[in-house]
Amino acid sequence: MAELIKLTIDGREVEVPRGTTIFDAARLNGIPIPTLCHQQNQTPVGVCRVCVVDVGARVYAASCIRECDAGMTVKTDVPGVQKARAALVEMLMADHPAPCIRQQNSGDCELETLAAELSVPAPRYPRRLSPRGRDDSSLSIAVDHESCILCDRCIRGCDDVKKNLVLGRTGKGVTAGVAFDLNDPMGASTCVSCGECMVSCPTGALTNKRVVGTELGGGDALQAEELLDLPVFDGVSGTFLELNQGAVVKRHFKAGDIICKEGEFGSTAFYIMDGSVDVFISAPIKHVQQESTSSGWLSTIRSMLSDRDQHPRSEETTKRWIPIDAPVDLPYDNPRARLGPGDLFGEMTCMSFHPRSATVRAATDCTALEMLRNVLDILQKNKTFRAKLDDTYRKRALENHLKSVPVLAGLSGEFIDYLRNRVELIRYAPGQVIVRQGDPADSFYLVRLGFVKVSEAHPGGDLVLAYVPRGGYFGEIGLLGGGVRVATCSALDHVEAVRISGEDFRKMIEAFPDIRAELARVAEERLAQNRARQKTTDSVELNDFLAQGLMEAQSLLVLDLEKCTRCDQCVKACADAHDGVTRLVREGLRFDKYLVATSCRQCRDPLCMVGCPVGSIRRRNSLEVIIEDWCIGCGLCASNCPYGNISMHSFAVETADPEPSNRKVASTRKKATGCDLCTDQAEPSCVYACPHDAAHRVEPLTFFGAKFGLTPPRSVVDATVREERPGVDQTSK
Amino acid sequence: MRIDRTHQSWAVASGVALALAAAGYVAATASSGRPWSGGSAIGLAYGISGFAMMVFAALLAGRKKVPVWRIGRAQTWMRGHLWLGLLSFPIILFHAGFAFGGSLTRVMMWIFVVVILSGIAGAALQHFLPRLMFARVPMETIYEQIPHVRAQLLIEADGIVSDACGGMAVITDPAAERATGGASKLQSSVRVDAEESAPLREFYLAEMRPFVAEPDSAHPLADRQHGDQVFARLRTLLPSGFHTAVSALENICEEERQLSRQQKMHAWLHGWLLTHIPLSFALLVLAIIHIVTALRY
Repeated sequence: MAELIKLTIDGREVEVPRGTTIFDAARLNGIPIPTLCHQQNQTPVGVCRVCVVDVGARVYAASCIRECDAGMTVKTDVPGVQKARAALVEMLMADHPAPCIRQQNSGDCELETLAAELSVPAPRYPRRLSPRGRDDSSLSIAVDHESCILCDRCIRGCDDVKKNLVLGRTGKGVTAGVAFDLNDPMGASTCVSCGECMVSCPTGALTNKRVVGTELGGGDALQAEELLDLPVFDGVSGTFLELNQGAVVKRHFKAGDIICKEGEFGSTAFYIMDGSVDVFISAPIKHVQQESTSSGWLSTIRSMLSDRDQHPRSEETTKRWIPIDAPVDLPYDNPRARLGPGDLFGEMTCMSFHPRSATVRAATDCTALEMLRNVLDILQKNKTFRAKLDDTYRKRALENHLKSVPVLAGLSGEFIDYLRNRVELIRYAPGQVIVRQGDPADSFYLVRLGFVKVSEAHPGGDLVLAYVPRGGYFGEIGLLGGGVRVATCSALDHVEAVRISGEDFRKMIEAFPDIRAELARVAEERLAQNRARQKTTDSVELNDFLAQGLMEAQSLLVLDLEKCTRCDQCVKACADAHDGVTRLVREGLRFDKYLVATSCRQCRDPLCMVGCPVGSIRRRNSLEVIIEDWCIGCGLCASNCPYGNISMHSFAVETADPEPSNRKVASTRKKATGCDLCTDQAEPSCVYACPHDAAHRVEPLTFFGAKFGLTPPRSVVDATVREERPGVDQTSK
Repeated sequence: MRIDRTHQSWAVASGVALALAAAGYVAATASSGRPWSGGSAIGLAYGISGFAMMVFAALLAGRKKVPVWRIGRAQTWMRGHLWLGLLSFPIILFHAGFAFGGSLTRVMMWIFVVVILSGIAGAALQHFLPRLMFARVPMETIYEQIPHVRAQLLIEADGIVSDACGGMAVITDPAAERATGGASKLQSSVRVDAEESAPLREFYLAEMRPFVAEPDSAHPLADRQHGDQVFARLRTLLPSGFHTAVSALENICEEERQLSRQQKMHAWLHGWLLTHIPLSFALLVLAIIHIVTALRY
């Protein structure tokens, strides 16, 4: 038993074990000493000095770290001490944005409360000139460095209490601050969102980011204690769950209940606790085919649905698997799969608000947790949950995932087993760079979730080369070529990628020469496309308007505004030619006397491809957009296209009636489609129907080049104009 | 449609046809020595030709109803409509021997004159106006969307003034509306730099908002020169911090003027059809009646 010593605090004689700090001794005896940097569950560090007391020495002592001595006389409340505390608080307040976010929300900012208690006047000192900024990269915790008083409570909470070792100090003097990992944004760091730092913070520097006004209705609302009892929430901060009550509910579904429908917009993810669900795509796995009804004068165009066997298109994909927002891919021939306990689906919808990629129906009576993105974010960063998800992925989905990538379809089961415990599943926050142009190439990546933007740095700015959706891959060019990254790949939204190390990649291509050859062919194709695009951009004398991508288009519908009487015959013709759905809007950018009306212009930055929940829109090698058979008709590409060049076409189809299951019912499904230049007709309908000679389909490089003296080199024209199309003017009229 | 060099072949062919028809007419009248009759063989030939041309011209309306039928480019039909329609008039005059005849034929001839004149006027308008519209309405939008664009402009203008001068709130109390003199339904609910922003707020509420809400060609801001002067004066009255808002409002006024101009030009571009089309069909119906009665009686 420790030796007891006697001392006097504010005139009272107290007895405490040797080694007790003055702060603890005072508190044990009901004498309050204010502090900012110290918490009972943390090791004291004495950085704020607000807890100073007079022990009769030359200087005041920080009571949280000064141990009691026998016979010591401590004064905690004398004017000199009060004045010293007030001066310290005033200096801290000088840099503090009062009222900070915590004071505004809950009125319990410890610094501002203390300033009020000590009657600290408005700071006489100027604020720092350079702001320290905010960090909103985490979905669950907001970081306001402006409000930070460098008390280090968050650091001790993270490192000492939770042993996560993410938080630390960075900088010196006026640049000092707290940092996540190597001063990464919180959302991109290895932070597991346990919430300890936020709970420890005395000010508004670390606050909970609640999803405002989106409590989930229905279902069984769960209290924090109930959630903590669930194995999936093992290790998550209880305080954090309390702060986010209502953001996760338990739902019970009966067999046959629809949990979510493809194409719907949502904001939640589901974690299956028990029972099983069927995941399927109910939209017909077909694409829109245009066909003339006859070859005569009165022929019109009919739009119909065809699959790739009935109507193969150039550069048709050979993919046999459809990527969806779940831990499984669906087979092309029968897009259906089953998920069971421990499976999570709807991550992309929840994190990036993409439309649902498939319909999910309860196969048996089942229970699932439905959660909002802040809870999903905590779970995904939770070590236990993460390990479970990784394990499920390695065991069940890795093989499917690898085989769903056409070039890797030939991998043997043995090699997949070899990779099973060697691949890394890595998450990236929006905007985070995955590989940087010029860096050494050391890994190959498969995209499991989200979209990766591939761009090349040029003096005039970045050139977007591609968007890689779920199921795509990148990083092979550097590994196969000179060992250096030729482009920068960054996460466009919340991305999860499977990283295969360079060593394993080399083993793979050595063991499977066919895969090597196929990868090399695709790499060469990609490089050729990049070169062609770069050549086009460099060689044409672009003015501001052309720089917007006009010259990159392969075919444009232009309306001569000096001839056009605005009669809208072109729009009517387009609608008549496409079952009443026009793909042409007589509005758009103007160049000289021409209105550039709608039609896909192969943008440099093809926004239409971003967010497709099933990755069904892509570019051909010729850069033309192709919409794959498994489009679910959610309409995201149509709304993403800034030029309105993608339209949604309704078709009457027969779908299975869930009850009774052997019956079919008539319904309407939509498919995305772009301008098809009225395939099979000698001339696009819009041009054919213009009575005023105002509408022209042109190949822009030649058309504008001849008109305005922009003469691109022949090689560029050759690269861009792959084939002469009917109805497309190759030269100026 | 612009009548340019691409019409040359049609113009030449029509001229040649007209010359041949005129020569035939002169030769026939000179040789017969009798008063000309539309019922004579040659008169009937002129009548049938003229009527066929009229029917072809009228079929353009039908052609437009089936724009995707591959029965010739709409452009060719339009050229045929213009030139054959025009040619039909002298041919019919030859058929009638330049006489307006009885009451039915007189009515028909006058209608024909109006149809031809309205057609010529329409062709002239559609020749010149698109170029004018292109030059004078750079902010052109889809005609049917003008009311929607106007509503958006009003919201935008309210927002600009609200940001610059303090919150703007719609008065729903009729008494309060009366108190503002009915000049506007808006008042400033928050006074931000009230004195400094007063000229902007007053101008907006009293002058600009009524113009943006209900554009009227009689409104002073409908005149661009006046608008320029007003905004120049505002810039001198207001501190430089407000000049961005003033420029934005000036742009909105300009867009309003252009939308009004577009509406007017659109009315001119297509308004003549209200005369041309009904009379053309009336003419065709009367022509059929004329043919039936002439052949039967």
